Amino acid sequence: MRRRAWMIFGLLALIVALPMVLRRETATTRAGNADDTLVILTPHNESIRKEFGEAFATYRKKTTGRSIHIDWRTPGGTSEIRMVLDAGFKAAAETGRDGIGVDLFFGGGEPDFAGQAKKGRLLPLDVFKSSPELFAEGGPIPQTFTGERYFPDDHLWVGTCMSQFGICYNPQVLERLKIPAPTAWNDLGDPRYAGTLALADPTKSGSVARTFELLLQGEIQRAIAKPGAHREQAIAAGWSSGLQLIQRMAANSRYFTDSASKIPHDVGQGNSAAGMCIDFYGRSYASELTTKNGKPRVVWIAPTGGTTLSADPIGVLKGAPNEKLAQEFVSYTLSPAAQIMWFGKPGTPNGPKERALHRTPIRRDTYTPKILAESTLPTISPYQDSGNFTYQRELTGSAFNTLRQLVKVMCIDSHEEMKSAWLAIREAHMPPEALAVFSDVSLIPYEKVGKGDPILDGNDALKAAEHAARIGEWFRSNYRKAEAIARSKTSTATHR
Amino acid sequence: MKRGNAIAITAVVCVIFAVFFIYPAGMVVKQAFEGTRTDGSHHFTLEFFAAVFRNPIYQEGLWNAFALGIISTLTTLAIAFPLALVSHRYDFFGKPALGVLVLAPMILPPFVGAVGVKQMLGVNGALNALLIDLGLMSAALPYDWLANGRFAGIVLMNALHLYPILYMNIAAALANLDPAMEQAAENLGCPPWKRFLRITLPLAMPGVFAGSSIVFIWSFTELGVPLVFDYSRVAPVQIFDGLKSLDKNPIPYALTAVLLITAAAVFALSKLVMGRAPLGTAPRPKGRANSLQLTGWKNAACSMLFITVFAIASIPHLGVVLLSLAGRWYGTVIPDSLTMQHYIEALGNGLVVPSIQNSLLYAGCATMIALTIGLGVAWVVVRSDLKTRAWLDTLVMMPLAVPGLVMAFGYLALSQEGKAFHFLVGAGGSPFMLIVIAYAIRRLPYIVRSAVAGLQQSNPMLEEAAKSLGATPARTLRRIAIPLIGANLAAGSILAFAFAMLEVSDSLILAQQEQHYPITKAIYTLLSTLGNGTELAAALGVWAMVFLSVAIMGAAVLGGKRGGLFKV
Repeated sequence: MRRRAWMIFGLLALIVALPMVLRRETATTRAGNADDTLVILTPHNESIRKEFGEAFATYRKKTTGRSIHIDWRTPGGTSEIRMVLDAGFKAAAETGRDGIGVDLFFGGGEPDFAGQAKKGRLLPLDVFKSSPELFAEGGPIPQTFTGERYFPDDHLWVGTCMSQFGICYNPQVLERLKIPAPTAWNDLGDPRYAGTLALADPTKSGSVARTFELLLQGEIQRAIAKPGAHREQAIAAGWSSGLQLIQRMAANSRYFTDSASKIPHDVGQGNSAAGMCIDFYGRSYASELTTKNGKPRVVWIAPTGGTTLSADPIGVLKGAPNEKLAQEFVSYTLSPAAQIMWFGKPGTPNGPKERALHRTPIRRDTYTPKILAESTLPTISPYQDSGNFTYQRELTGSAFNTLRQLVKVMCIDSHEEMKSAWLAIREAHMPPEALAVFSDVSLIPYEKVGKGDPILDGNDALKAAEHAARIGEWFRSNYRKAEAIARSKTSTATHR
Repeated sequence: MKRGNAIAITAVVCVIFAVFFIYPAGMVVKQAFEGTRTDGSHHFTLEFFAAVFRNPIYQEGLWNAFALGIISTLTTLAIAFPLALVSHRYDFFGKPALGVLVLAPMILPPFVGAVGVKQMLGVNGALNALLIDLGLMSAALPYDWLANGRFAGIVLMNALHLYPILYMNIAAALANLDPAMEQAAENLGCPPWKRFLRITLPLAMPGVFAGSSIVFIWSFTELGVPLVFDYSRVAPVQIFDGLKSLDKNPIPYALTAVLLITAAAVFALSKLVMGRAPLGTAPRPKGRANSLQLTGWKNAACSMLFITVFAIASIPHLGVVLLSLAGRWYGTVIPDSLTMQHYIEALGNGLVVPSIQNSLLYAGCATMIALTIGLGVAWVVVRSDLKTRAWLDTLVMMPLAVPGLVMAFGYLALSQEGKAFHFLVGAGGSPFMLIVIAYAIRRLPYIVRSAVAGLQQSNPMLEEAAKSLGATPARTLRRIAIPLIGANLAAGSILAFAFAMLEVSDSLILAQQEQHYPITKAIYTLLSTLGNGTELAAALGVWAMVFLSVAIMGAAVLGGKRGGLFKV
């Protein structure tokens, strides 16, 4: 018995010893041993945290001689961060404290930061005073680009890099399904994609919700641009055709996820044919994953006419315990060295140490031939080539919340009925009668909800929920009808 | 048991539960009952509750969850009971090893488990690659296993993941059986099937009930498996989506309340029907059941049964292991190239060593606390005649049914500076106390169920005899009662410890600073590495799996007499 006990404890000790032996050293100092501490709440991935943490620690040591411990707080994605901020600031307000013991909010989308700014949880940034030249007219950081805001008038946050939602696809799977490579959002509405599309969930992330708004606005802009189009009518037609595109894409999709890496991973594994994917995840998977013959398994593209370059911001939280250091970190992220970090090749000066981050810096002056040559994105020039699409807030901006809820009731809640109808329609070779019922969006025209639905958007949660349930039921009954029509077509065809 | 003691234990447990379960969970769920007036003030309302039942989508979600719960439980029983019975009755080749091996499937690391399943069963996964290689499937038309037959898939996956819970509880119940009963039936000419239905099954009922009530609540509220199958019209997924939504709608909280009430009602009802001790005063078995040594094909068949169950249940695990070793694994049965690089990178990360220390501490302390409270609760439930004991029993089961995010955010809100639980936050923001309590409360049901089952089967007369001979209650507990139900407590503690080590929500939300991360949060952190995050997470996941397996097997080898953990 004793021998057995020793064997088991020996085995357990061996298992525990393994990570101890393999442990690597890092430049950031452990908690408690550092001269300074900075607390950062972030949805950024581990690679970004590690590279920026190490680089800032080295920079601080060199310029001030002080060591720093960066306390990264990562409760999950932006939805968990929002919940953590809400819980923290609610308690702070009730107990009369200013802040929540966190210095910075680093990473997310413009909607997340605009939301926190509106709630008065962000402090004005010093960098606007210390380096006004960065933000001057024609300077390195424009206030808006492709219709997206890179910093607000009140200077409560600033973008540190850009991101863009696009399409990632697996060339081998497309070949198997005999579908040409997609170039625009509209291509993803092709019924041949049924059951193979991976979509991001607009109900949980502001940036994804914005992407849905953009693809709908793309349709509106195209309708307006048609020669001889009447503007009001074109907007209404574009709105409906945008909603119908969302319907078709949703009908093709397997799921709606809030995990940024799930989509490129599923596409890279060939378990999904294509998906909606943020640029740097797409590029990162594209560079890592190849087939046996060296062919890429993931290709990422920016769809023409339906995506913008949005800012990935940073902001200092109200009541930051180390506000001075936090402001310094913000300034650091906008320095030329830190900007190169976003897309430098690993191992190059100012580039990341271990892993390429595949992101596009926000400063225009970073895109010089010399820097680009040492980057992982040598051919990129976002400020020159923006896919000739500019977001026009006045067209759909006020429907931002409504649209998200419409997608939820029309597509996510009704996904079962929708998919089933879509497959039946596909099997019946797309009969127009069934398609017409399937894509009927006459309940929610632009005139009625294009500027936001007062009930869905209103303060009465109960009324909003009941209203949403009614809209959902209307769509589901349409999908059921469309399926019945399609099935009757299939059966008549077989009987003949 | 003295009435006074029973009342005291009930009171203490109720206070602990009121403070650490009802208060934090209620803080969050109460939003379901708060209407807002136009001036912004709140009033009590049941309207959101009613809205849940008026919305066909939520109705369907609840029905689907309920059906998944019931059918998964029956399927789990169909796997676990034969295994436990065969292992109880017969000796066959490799029995000691196989008996422990079949427990392994419950240790599936979080996050990467789902990826492992997809690697095996996805359209472009290993199974289809195998079928294509064998010429049984056309490469142009691979079958989508996860999208077709989702309901059956979820049931099967639940059953294959959860059967160890039932297996352990039934094995413990069978170990407590008096073989004289079965022998008597046999001597009187009772055929084997009748003997099983009339004697063995009723006597093992406490164990069956203990395990299946946990399995039911688990699969009724399961989130991860439906998500793997992209099945969103089921209440737990609807709650999860609603909680994380940008909209501040209280409907998900109302749905949570409905889920809780349903789980409690099903538990209480089924307890009435099948949870009663069949023989309250069964004498302590004098002999030990001598299991029958099998030979020939029967011997091989029994071994094969265990091996088959283990092999099928380990498919997701195999997926995770291969993933952690994969250089490239794309559309082939096994990876093209194997590498140890992910292990070197993952285990070398500075997060890992402290996270192991933290997890062992958190899970170990939580198990000890749960064991103490659980034993007290079981004692009151089985040995006292308090009217409230049935309520107490239902109450302690509820932490199983509360969504992880709800509990975690309840604790988070209450542990802010100036709030009621802030005293639990240690120096430097250490969440040690918070996490230990959260883990302990959530893992308590495993201990309570096992202990209740054990006490129902052990004879109170032995304890009474000890008392009448002058032993104090503490001494009676230590020397008589606990040793008699040792097998049950071991089973419950193993489950509590293993599931605490793999806990997700509290770990992600409450462990905020790196130095306090448990292993699950370290896995989550590695997962978000660009490039090979999934493989890194799989590597650490495999490490956790191996560690827990060895720990459990160690417990089995050291804790059990005569080579079986569940024999006393």
